[in-house]
Amino acid sequence: MASQHSRLLEAIMDRMIPAVGDLPSAGQMGLIDEIVELAAKQKRFEDLFHSAITAFESKNPDFLTSSESVQDENLKTFELNTPEHFNTIRTIVYIVYYKDSRVHKRIGWDGQPPQPQGYEMDPWDESVLENARKREPFWRKV
Amino acid sequence: MTSNHGSKDMTVDVLIIGAGASGAAAAASLSEAGFKVKCLEQGFWQDPSKYASASADYDFEMLTNWSVDPNKRQLDEDYPINIDNSPVTPVMFNGVGGSTILWTAHTPRFHPSDFRVKTLDGVADDWPLTYEDIEDYYDRNDEVMGCSGINGDPANPPRKPRQMPPLPIGSDGIRLINAFEKLDWHWWPSDNYINSEPYGEGRDACNFCGHVHMGCFKRAKASTDLTYWPLALNNGAVIETGARVRRVTTNSSGIATGADYVDAKGVERHQPARSVVMAANGIGTARLLLLSKSDSHPDGLANSSGLVGKNLMFHPFAMITGVFPEKMKTWQGPLSNFAMSQEFYETDESRGFVRGYTYQFQRSLGPGWVANGGFTNAIPWGDSHHEELEKRLGSMMAIAVIGDDLPELHNSVELDPDLTDSDGVPAPRINYTLSQNSRDLLDHGIKNATKVFETAGATDIYVDPLMRQSGWHLMGTARMGEDSSNSVVDKWGQAHDVDNLFIIDGSVFVTGAAVNPTPTIQALALRTADYIIANRTDLRG
Ligand SMILES: Cc1cc2nc3c(=O)[nH]c(=O)nc-3n(C[C@H](O)[C@H](O)[C@H](O)COP(=O)(O)OP(=O)(O)OC[C@H]3O[C@@H](n4cnc5c(N)ncnc54)[C@H](O)[C@@H]3O)c2cc1C
Repeated sequence: MASQHSRLLEAIMDRMIPAVGDLPSAGQMGLIDEIVELAAKQKRFEDLFHSAITAFESKNPDFLTSSESVQDENLKTFELNTPEHFNTIRTIVYIVYYKDSRVHKRIGWDGQPPQPQGYEMDPWDESVLENARKREPFWRKV
Repeated sequence: MTSNHGSKDMTVDVLIIGAGASGAAAAASLSEAGFKVKCLEQGFWQDPSKYASASADYDFEMLTNWSVDPNKRQLDEDYPINIDNSPVTPVMFNGVGGSTILWTAHTPRFHPSDFRVKTLDGVADDWPLTYEDIEDYYDRNDEVMGCSGINGDPANPPRKPRQMPPLPIGSDGIRLINAFEKLDWHWWPSDNYINSEPYGEGRDACNFCGHVHMGCFKRAKASTDLTYWPLALNNGAVIETGARVRRVTTNSSGIATGADYVDAKGVERHQPARSVVMAANGIGTARLLLLSKSDSHPDGLANSSGLVGKNLMFHPFAMITGVFPEKMKTWQGPLSNFAMSQEFYETDESRGFVRGYTYQFQRSLGPGWVANGGFTNAIPWGDSHHEELEKRLGSMMAIAVIGDDLPELHNSVELDPDLTDSDGVPAPRINYTLSQNSRDLLDHGIKNATKVFETAGATDIYVDPLMRQSGWHLMGTARMGEDSSNSVVDKWGQAHDVDNLFIIDGSVFVTGAAVNPTPTIQALALRTADYIIANRTDLRG
C-alpha cells in the first residue's frame, strides 16, 4: 500500500476506534500491514478495499491535516454517500482490530478461533420442557 | 470441441446433475438398487479439517472466500447471479454436499396443512401429495442424516423418536424460552441434523463452536458429502467433480440423452444417459432447463407449461435482535435454530394475512462479527464504539421470522443476457418482489418478537424487516402438479414433457411452507428414487 494511503488509513482508523484504557487509537496500533495482507486474501475484497481508499482520498484531499471534527464530518459524508466503500473499510478495520491480542486482553476474549476447541455447554436437560409439554396438540388437522 | 465420450459403454442409467442435498439422497437409493449412477458436480470435495472456522482469519473468510453468497465468494465453480431485481440475495454452496456444506441444518418438517393451502385457505395450490405420502421418507432421511430433537411437540404431528437428544439450550436460550412461556406461546427445541452425540461414520458430536454456516470442522453437522455420498460411492455410484453442465441434451423425439459439460480441465464433454435427474437446486435447475432449448423444446426443456423458472420462492425472512443487560456467552452453541416457536404457524384470518411463520431462536458470535453488526447494523464508529461493543458482546440474541412463501409468477429465474460463469455459460437473473401477504406476515412476526424481547428484558431491540442475505431456500421454479399445463413435473418428480427427466430439488415445491425445506427436499428425492426403482426398469442398461 502506498505510504500516503497507509497514513490516510491510520487517520481514518484513529477516528473510527478511539483510544481506550491502555490501548491507543486503532491507527496507532501498527495494524496496517495486517489489514493489507488480509484484504489480499480475496481479489474481490482487495479491489474493493483499494478503490475505497482511493475514493476516500479523492473526496477528502485535506483529511490528514483537518481537525478531528472535520475528519468526523468527512467520514460521515463518505458513509452516507458511498456506503459500499465505507463499509468495506470499516469491516476490515473492525475485523483486524478485534483479531488483535491486546484487544482480546482488554475485552476478556480468549482469542482462539472457534475450532478446533469449540466451547463447552451444559448438557441437554429435559426438565426445560416441563411447561411446554403441558400444551395440547394444536397443529391443524387436514 | 466435444470429446467423443458417446460410445455405448459410457452410457449410465441415471445421470444426476448436482451433488447436494437431493442429488446425494437419490444417488444412494438408486445405486443401492443396482442402477448405474453418475453425478456431474461443478464444485469439488471439501476437506473439513481445512474449514475456515479453525483459521485465525475466520471473520474475514466468512465474508469473502467462505461467504454463503456466491457473488461474494466468487470461486471458479460458483456462478454469478444477477440480483438487481431482488431485495433478497440467493445463497448456496457449489461442491460435493452442495449447500449442506454451509447450511445451519435446522430440519423441521412441513405440517400436513402445508400441502393443502388451496383447500384450507383458498390460496396458491394444493400439492399433488400429502404429508402422509412422504412421512416414511422423512424418517428414512433422518436415519441417514441423523436428527437431534425430541418428541412431544404439540405444534407438529407425532413422529418416530429422533436419533439423538436435542442440542443444549444454554442459559441464553432459557432466557428466550422463559419469555415465550410468560406470553403463553409455543416453543420447542429445534430438530437439527447436527450431532448432539457421535452419530454416523466418523462423525463427532458438536463442540458448540457456533460457526455452523462455515462448514463443520467436527463433521458433527450432516452434510451430504459425509452422509449419503459415502453410501452411494460404496454402491458403485460415481461423481465427477469440476464438471459444469451446460445443457441437458435431447434427441429428435425430445427424450433426454445425457448432458454436455465442461470438465475440470476445461474440455467440453458429453455424458450419455438413459435418464437425467436434475438436482442443481431451485435456481441451478431452472437455469439449466432454460439453457437446454432444442427443436423439440423451443422454450427450454420440460417447459411447455411456461412455468420453468417461474414462481420462485425464498421464504420471507426478518430478523429481530435483542441486547440483554447480562453477559451470557451468546457465542457458545450453534448460531442458529437451537429452538423454535410455531405459535403463529397456521392461518388465523383475524391477523390480516394467510398462512403463518415460524420463529427461529438465534445466538451470536465473537467480537469481529458483533462489531460488524451480526444480524443487525454494525456498531457505530467513533466515541461510542467501545461502550457499544461492550454492551453487545456476549449479550446479543436474535429471533428470525421465517414466513410461508406463496408462488407468484413474476418471481422468477431467467437467463441473464450478459452475465456468464467462468465457463461462459449464461448466468441466472432473479426477479423477486415481496407480496403484501408476506409483508403483513413479517410485520406481525416482528411485532410479536419485539414483545418477546421486551418480556425477556432486552434493553435494545433492532429490526431487519427483510434480511437481504436470506435466500437460502430456493423453491418453486419447476413446480409439481397433476395438470401438465399448470406444472412442470408430476407428483413423482417426472417431467410431464420428458418421461426420462426427473427433478428432485426444491424447484418442485408448490408452496414454501413456513419451515426450512431440506428434509422435505430430501424426502421427495428419496420418493422419486423409489418410483424410478419400482417403475422404470426400462432405464437400466
Ligand atoms: C447458509 C445456508 C443455510 C441454510 N440453512 C438451512 C437450514 O437450516 N435448514 C434447511 O432445511 N435448509 C437450509 N439451507 C438450504 C439447504 O442447504 C438447501 O435447501 C439444500 O441444500 C438444497 O438441496 P439441493 O440438492 O436442491 O441443492 P444444493 O444442495 O444447493 O446442491 C446443488 C448442487 O448442484 C450443483 N450444480 C448446480 N448447477 C450445476 C451445473 N450447471 N453443473 C454441475 N453442477 C451444478 C451445485 O454445484 C451444487 O453442489 C441453507 C442454505 C445455506 C446456503
